[in-house]
Amino acid sequence: MTPSSRYWSAGRTFAWLAVPPLVFLAAFLVIPLARVIVGSFTGSGLTLAHYEKVFSAPVYTHVFVYTLQVAFTVTALCLVIAYPLAFVIANIRGTAQKLMTILVLVPLWSSVVIRSYAWMILFQRRGILNEALLSLGWIDEPLQILQTSVAVQVAMVHILLPFMVLPLVTTMMGIDHTLIRAGRVLGAGPVRLFLRIYLRLSLPGVTAGCALVFITALGFYITPALLGGTQNTMTAVVIEEAVSVFFDWPLASALSTVLLVITMGIYLLYARFTRGDLGMVGK
Amino acid sequence: MRPDTHPGSLMARIGNSALLVYAVLVLAFLMLPLAIIVPMSFSDQPYLTFPPSGWTWHWYEEVRNQPRWLTAAWNSVRIGVPVALLSVVFGTLAALAVTRSGSGWSKPFSLLVLAPMMLPHVIIAIGLYPTIVSLGLAGSYLAIVIGHTVVGIPFVFVTVSAALKNYPPTLDMAARTLGANGWKTFLRVTLPMTWPGIASGGLLAFATSFDELMLALFLTGIRTETLPRIIWDQLSFALTPTIAAAATLILLLTTLLLGIASLLGARRSRKGE
Repeated sequence: MTPSSRYWSAGRTFAWLAVPPLVFLAAFLVIPLARVIVGSFTGSGLTLAHYEKVFSAPVYTHVFVYTLQVAFTVTALCLVIAYPLAFVIANIRGTAQKLMTILVLVPLWSSVVIRSYAWMILFQRRGILNEALLSLGWIDEPLQILQTSVAVQVAMVHILLPFMVLPLVTTMMGIDHTLIRAGRVLGAGPVRLFLRIYLRLSLPGVTAGCALVFITALGFYITPALLGGTQNTMTAVVIEEAVSVFFDWPLASALSTVLLVITMGIYLLYARFTRGDLGMVGK
Repeated sequence: MRPDTHPGSLMARIGNSALLVYAVLVLAFLMLPLAIIVPMSFSDQPYLTFPPSGWTWHWYEEVRNQPRWLTAAWNSVRIGVPVALLSVVFGTLAALAVTRSGSGWSKPFSLLVLAPMMLPHVIIAIGLYPTIVSLGLAGSYLAIVIGHTVVGIPFVFVTVSAALKNYPPTLDMAARTLGANGWKTFLRVTLPMTWPGIASGGLLAFATSFDELMLALFLTGIRTETLPRIIWDQLSFALTPTIAAAATLILLLTTLLLGIASLLGARRSRKGE
């Protein structure tokens, strides 16, 4: 809230502007989500049967564990890969900075379906990667890369990397370098300067990036469906299958509700300590 | 790494060249899929080999000759445009309400508006599908426009909120003091000050609709199938360079659109300085 709006009489008029989007989102977001949740508890009357199915079948518990594992691995890899890149982008100046920012944004603009397709071409049995390794003589026969977790995770890191880089760059560009100089004058070495000052000041970007990547990774569908095998499916793929292959809406609802609770839990936890916009609204 | 000097001289230091090389490698990794798809679309082989042994426009003609691609392209546009407009209206209203009259309800309200950005689309899709069916809209044009607007609104909300925060509300108050009514203040002051945010939000909403697959799988029918959906269908039975050609065309279009959006964004931030 801006201090001026408190005594600005038009404030209440502006609150009415929230009504149309509220009605639209109530009808087409809140009610549909409520339908999913209610549907997960109803069969012939109220029942927990669908949840029993989800939590007793090792197939489904494995899917959730696997989804969390992948989301965690992908987030960690994105952070490790993105941090030094963001550092360079934040500290380089002029055309190089502009060019690098554009190169981070361009893949973000291209379709996830198309990018996953590119990874399929790369990872196929007679694909670019296998052909290259064969001709180098590093392997004797093509490796099975498609339909493994490796393929899914590499492609997911690629797709989600810009979501980590951008909040990091924004935070790093706001870091006051006189603080680091002060630390240096007071006798801190480079490692200590980095750990005690720079890293701490960049933490808001780290949490925003990690939250954004982790939450997005949890709901990934296209990449695991195209590149993953039947052994390693993620939750969104299983939910879609439950509906389109098995026509089991209650099961899909129960699986969705569990995924919804996990996603919203992480998001609300994050929003509790920040503005909740995942660094997207700017300063 | 010695992040202790003036930013300008930082990169000049010995040792930082390793960081620079690293940055270039990561950026190359980010560009890799594009570097594969574009040459692939000109390959003279019917199956995917890389690098292509010869070059041809054949796959682009293939795309042009298949009415299904053209129909899908037209569908994507006629869905994306109303989605962008509706998202602009709802997103701008939401942003105005939150930034101009912030109070207790604004945080939960913001969470609601931003939620479609966080939620897995599959959950929205399986909730929205029965809702759409019960309204008698299954497979209709309106169904997918509604679905994509839900996920388009947060983009406009984010960009317009940022634009609104970039200029002081005292300007609006000045207009009010000088006798303009609320509507006139909005049209003559607020709108001109925030339109780059509104426009870039609208383009982002269009691009989201243009690229969205999950809601399209559930909410589109034969008459409304979009480009991502037809690519998805084709991927599941054959990997031909036709898909690469279509993908290259789509990339060209979205890059163009989002280039415009980022130029508008740059204009906005220059104004803000």
